[in-house]
Amino acid sequence: MELEALQGIYSEVKDLGAQIVVLTPELERYTRALHKKLNLTFDILTDLHLKIAEQFRLLYVLPDYLREIYRSVGNALDRFHDEPEFRLSMPARYVVDKHGIIRAADVSADYTIRPEPSDTLNALRALKDQLAPGRPSFVYPN
Amino acid sequence: MADLQSRLDQFKKAFESGAPPYNATQEAIETMHRATRELETSGLANKALKVGDCAPQFSLFNQDQVEVNSPDLLRQGPLVVSFFRGHW
Repeated sequence: MELEALQGIYSEVKDLGAQIVVLTPELERYTRALHKKLNLTFDILTDLHLKIAEQFRLLYVLPDYLREIYRSVGNALDRFHDEPEFRLSMPARYVVDKHGIIRAADVSADYTIRPEPSDTLNALRALKDQLAPGRPSFVYPN
Repeated sequence: MADLQSRLDQFKKAFESGAPPYNATQEAIETMHRATRELETSGLANKALKVGDCAPQFSLFNQDQVEVNSPDLLRQGPLVVSFFRGHW
């Protein structure tokens, strides 16, 4: 659902001069199928063994009692991610400016909560206003 | 299109009803709630990188096995980086 929502704002993101990438621990043979199925026009990148998620400090280890449930419904992390340690990334969305500085960050411990794509667009708009020299983001009324 | 969170909420409601196609047991639902509560209480989300931090650089392969690196992307403008746990 989140990928489709990001696709929904993609043209506006492009108009703002920005790009989208999605990072997932899933192996390429799965991202390829997903990318095709959803007709995405941005890249899904395989963050093998969650190395980049770790650098963003998003990693957690699934508790033992949850592993059994995931297994019972066929969610085989070891197969999809090559991840025998049962680590996962918390869901997160960042906006990074062209200097590599994080300008918006949404991280959630509850995987059923995601930031709205419209919030991401607003962050990009704010960034564009700040970057445009001599263009005030607020004009005083006469 | 309804906003993302209301669609997620709708899915959660359908899943937690225990009805097909998910047929989630009450026990499984309780366990998932417990795990979410524990992760929230751990405060781990507050330790993640924040506004003002420097984003780590990366070089990764996309769905077509083409290498994509963040410095190249950032040269063209701002970047939305979304972390996704998987299709499952």
